[in-house]
Amino acid sequence: MTPVEQPVQGADANTPDRGGELVIEHVSHAYVSARRRTPALDDVTFSIQAGEVCCVVGPSGCGKSTLLGLAAGLLPPSSGRLVWDGELVRVGPNRHIGMAFQQPGLFPWLTVRENVAIGLRTRGNNRRDARRIAEEFLSTVGLADFQDAYPSQLSGGMAQRVGIARALALQPRLLLLDEPFAAVDAFTRLKLQQELLALLKRYRPTVMFVTHDVSEAIAVGDVIVVMSPRPATVRRIIPVDAADRNRSSAQFAHKLGETLECLGVITIP
Amino acid sequence: MRLRDRFLLPLAGVCIVLVVWQATVVMYRLPLIVLPPPWDVALALAQLVDTYAFWRDVGVSLYEFASGYAIGVAFGVAIGLAIGESRTFRLAATPVVESLRFIVPFAWIPLTILWFGTSYTGKIALVAYAVFFVMVVSTARAIAAVDPTLSRVGTALGMGRLHLAWSVHLRAAAPTIASAARAAAAIGWVAVVAAEYIGASAGLGLMITNAASSLATPVVIAGMIVIGLVGAGVSALIGWLARLRLDYQ
Repeated sequence: MTPVEQPVQGADANTPDRGGELVIEHVSHAYVSARRRTPALDDVTFSIQAGEVCCVVGPSGCGKSTLLGLAAGLLPPSSGRLVWDGELVRVGPNRHIGMAFQQPGLFPWLTVRENVAIGLRTRGNNRRDARRIAEEFLSTVGLADFQDAYPSQLSGGMAQRVGIARALALQPRLLLLDEPFAAVDAFTRLKLQQELLALLKRYRPTVMFVTHDVSEAIAVGDVIVVMSPRPATVRRIIPVDAADRNRSSAQFAHKLGETLECLGVITIP
Repeated sequence: MRLRDRFLLPLAGVCIVLVVWQATVVMYRLPLIVLPPPWDVALALAQLVDTYAFWRDVGVSLYEFASGYAIGVAFGVAIGLAIGESRTFRLAATPVVESLRFIVPFAWIPLTILWFGTSYTGKIALVAYAVFFVMVVSTARAIAAVDPTLSRVGTALGMGRLHLAWSVHLRAAAPTIASAARAAAAIGWVAVVAAEYIGASAGLGLMITNAASSLATPVVIAGMIVIGLVGAGVSALIGWLARLRLDYQ
């Protein structure tokens, strides 16, 4: 766990695999309130290799976001365990993670640059370094000209890029993405997917990417975990080859059909 | 249009009130000590602002208000934040807050006179009390209403509970808290004047009750107008301060 404890350094184009392995073992989770117990996950087991991009797809509300929250240490599992790099995932702020959400969740009172820098400051970088790294990552996502803008002045796609930049600027070893492109228009989404792929190649974190867009999962993922409806279990784990990613290829269509059939959305005769 | 909307129409409203006022006095032949005509009140006001005693009374009332207000806002926001953040604290504090907040500040006036006499301290305590409950309740609500995504973002960025409470929740709730603080200023000002009516050694309220007991009705009404103007000024000042710091939307 050596690199985790150090403040984030500047980006390096030749960063080696910096991710670790995430193992999810027999994890179940239920939300308990005074009136009822709502099961969200039921005995989920799979693992993500270091540097692998794992897309989790499943029907709406099946508990995908819960799984991300567990991996992030935002909440504890009801049973089972999550192991990151040989250690149990601790509930509370975890230094190895970066996270982006469907609603980018930018702080409206901070400028774009400050929004990216605040996480770096929280993790122990000094003001100058935080500012420099934030500027660097904002240029990477093409927002160099919007650093002094406030979130209310951004389009949905731009806000989402800031959200991604904020997560990546922490140089996380585990990147958790919760439908980050679900709220942007289809055209912007395709563009953001390509940008994300390039960024992931460059920084090589381990990634858990939750989405309900199967074509997005094929375009971005190394492996797809197909979940059942709530309470979610793992239905199948589908590997994706580089050849499958080309949206105009027959392999892509085949992979799409296979995944959708597994989800029970279509039947292939 | 601008001239009409900004000056002529508001002026027309004021004029109508003055005309009705004057007409009432004339029609019912009201004596001066019941309802003086506007002009007599204006004269009384002009004489008032020319005296040292008047400005001292305004100063005393403002001092009592400002001290009590600052104390009430500071404690109200702090306790409201704690209620919003901690379930344990909320469960313990809610019955106390809920039972006390319906004992309106004015119900405390006799007790504050017993405890503090006619000193400034009693008024300050009363304003702090009135402001405190407005701020506790609205701060706790504002904190509870903060977008949960922001909390998740903060935790994911590595913030602990206190850091999250201070730099995310309180900051996100600040616009709501600021508008509550503005409403609380009006309530606090009312509390000062009411307390001074009942027992005070100085202040605008005392000035007015003194004028009333010597049947100087024009001075009474002039004093009431001053209370209104000062209150509006204070409220505008707080609104302006809030905009100065929170204008990022």
